Amino acid sequence: MTAIVESERRPGGFAGWIGHIGDVLGAIPGAYRDALRTHPLRTTLLSALVILGVFYPLLNRSVLQGFSRNVFPLPIPDDTVVTFMLIFSIMAVGLNIVAGFAGLLDLGYVAFYAIGAYTAAFLASPHFGVVSIVLLANVPQGFPGIHIPFWFIVPLAMIIAGTFGALLGAPTLRLRGDYLAIVTLGFGEIVPVVFRNLADVTIKFNFLFINFSAEHLNLTGGPLGINPIDPPYLPGLGITFNASAGFAPVYLAMILLALGVLFARNLERSRIGRAWMAIREDELAAEMMGVHTVRTKLLAFALGASFAGIAGSLQASYLGATTSDFFQFSTSILVLIMVILGGIGNIWGVIVGAVALQYVNLTLLPYLGQQIQSIAPSFPNPAQFNFLFFGLILVVMMRFRPEGFIPNRQRAAQLSAHVLAAAAAERGEVVGLDNTGLDIDENIELAPPGQSEVGEDARAAETSDEARDL
Amino acid sequence: MALLELNDVHTYYGAIHALRGVSISVEDGEIVTLIGSNGAGKSTTLRTISGLLRPRQGTVSLGDKRLDGLRPHQIVQLGVCQSPEGRRVFARMTVHENLEMGAFSRKEKTKIASDFERVYGLFPRLKERTAQRAGTLSGGEQQMLAIARALMAAPRVLLLDEPSMGLAPILVEQIFEIIKTINQQGTTVLLVEQNALMALGIANRGYILQTGEIVLTDDAHKLAANPEVKRAYLGG
Repeated sequence: MTAIVESERRPGGFAGWIGHIGDVLGAIPGAYRDALRTHPLRTTLLSALVILGVFYPLLNRSVLQGFSRNVFPLPIPDDTVVTFMLIFSIMAVGLNIVAGFAGLLDLGYVAFYAIGAYTAAFLASPHFGVVSIVLLANVPQGFPGIHIPFWFIVPLAMIIAGTFGALLGAPTLRLRGDYLAIVTLGFGEIVPVVFRNLADVTIKFNFLFINFSAEHLNLTGGPLGINPIDPPYLPGLGITFNASAGFAPVYLAMILLALGVLFARNLERSRIGRAWMAIREDELAAEMMGVHTVRTKLLAFALGASFAGIAGSLQASYLGATTSDFFQFSTSILVLIMVILGGIGNIWGVIVGAVALQYVNLTLLPYLGQQIQSIAPSFPNPAQFNFLFFGLILVVMMRFRPEGFIPNRQRAAQLSAHVLAAAAAERGEVVGLDNTGLDIDENIELAPPGQSEVGEDARAAETSDEARDL
Repeated sequence: MALLELNDVHTYYGAIHALRGVSISVEDGEIVTLIGSNGAGKSTTLRTISGLLRPRQGTVSLGDKRLDGLRPHQIVQLGVCQSPEGRRVFARMTVHENLEMGAFSRKEKTKIASDFERVYGLFPRLKERTAQRAGTLSGGEQQMLAIARALMAAPRVLLLDEPSMGLAPILVEQIFEIIKTINQQGTTVLLVEQNALMALGIANRGYILQTGEIVLTDDAHKLAANPEVKRAYLGG
């Protein structure tokens, strides 16, 4: 509290900003202590995860790799897999804004991932060889193609993906539920197809005195894609963040994810985050309270898309190549499963979901495949049936923990309220927990005669909720 | 000049002609009630005022400002807020968060803080349950929350859609007492009700709506004494 009062007395402008950042940094130990007191389990767990994450690459190299070969039965993910875990975590955090915060079902999220990747491909590769634009990049002057450093591409990819998100959202967000899902599904299919097919474009333009003609333009590299793409390069330290650079890209992805989490967390707690929550609860009521629902949903869509833009540009720059094959419908579904599995609406949850699923997808299943191949070569490789396993995992989760690994507060409340209502019904009591159901639209109220009793029950639900709030 | 005025408003749901030239005026400081049976167009009237539906013909105005054609959030900002039919509280948000949503379109923090005090003063039961999730409240408490939430927008005109719906008679009486208090504190109220007896008991004036048309308007006590109204709406 004192920090805030002090900051009001600080000067404006740049000095004020520095002071403000100082205040925030100064408040972190106190806030951490508070968090430790109010949610001890969650805070220690998260801290342990963060520490483990930060030291993982070193730990992996020095201890775990040798460990897993001799002692530990499960395979340890390598640096490439960890980088992809983090890239998909960024996507999961972004999709969580759309699906978790605002409650909009987006089945074509991969489109924005593709747009991010192709942004990097266009702006940092020799693909457009007819021009030579080298801007502060780690490439000799006069080198063919456009070459812009990765650090500029990331914000550009965010803006471009976000713009496409807004363009798609503007006509479709007036649709509700299923219809929105279908339109986004279509968009997710169209974008990769467009990238695959714009390899031989002929434009003829003849209007009044303007004569323009360009034949056989190769815009996107077609099915072969664009390759090579400049890797991210840090001039001061001379580090290149490509697939052969060991753990450097892991840290790059970690930093981008940390920034994304920070941004998403602030969004969630902002005015706009409240508006999303209200829309998810009851769109009409939110509108009656003065929320501009279309604009607010559009913002969720665009911001969510911009996260996929970051992930896409990182993926393309890191791998040094991109083709439309990377961006299939299954990727949209994979990210959606990560979000649902981890705990839709909870940022930490969806990251856990992304890491867990990528582990299964890229490390565990291929490893099992190898083991099986060495014993029974004719047996099918489980890595080819990864979605079968995801489906199984999803079914098991829905049965035993439908709110996800780390649930969102509201969703946990809803589910535990249902459990309580069922228990009360078994005891033959009248239940008035009508509005906690999924179909909030059906606001038909049955006046419960035993209102006070229900109130007591509800408060019991409240306390048990707090107790299990991990 | 009337504070809220509807002049010859025609509203359609697709091809269905729901409001057929409704004219209503609400003076500053009044409680005006709109009475009618199911499907008469009461909620349609409120939705038209709130901008959720657009009238095809006619005007809605607040003071000297036209409301028709504006979007719902603009109308809330101008000072008309609605407590919707069926309460529609944000079930999984706490009571406090629901009230914060009511103040969504306002920026003056100190005034919002004092309005929290005011609303908790009017509804002490909400203050007791401030950290509780709205979906776990009883029906009466949810209705109180819906009214309180609309009040947090600091409206000049408060629109109440069937606040008595589904509530026990004793709770209905409590709610109507509170509506009277809210009005005495300076908020103009347009009250839509099926419970004509209670509504006419606290209102200054009333309108009777039948299949999208105003068929009768008068002072509340005269309407309550009108034999035709008695027969049709008061069960006498």
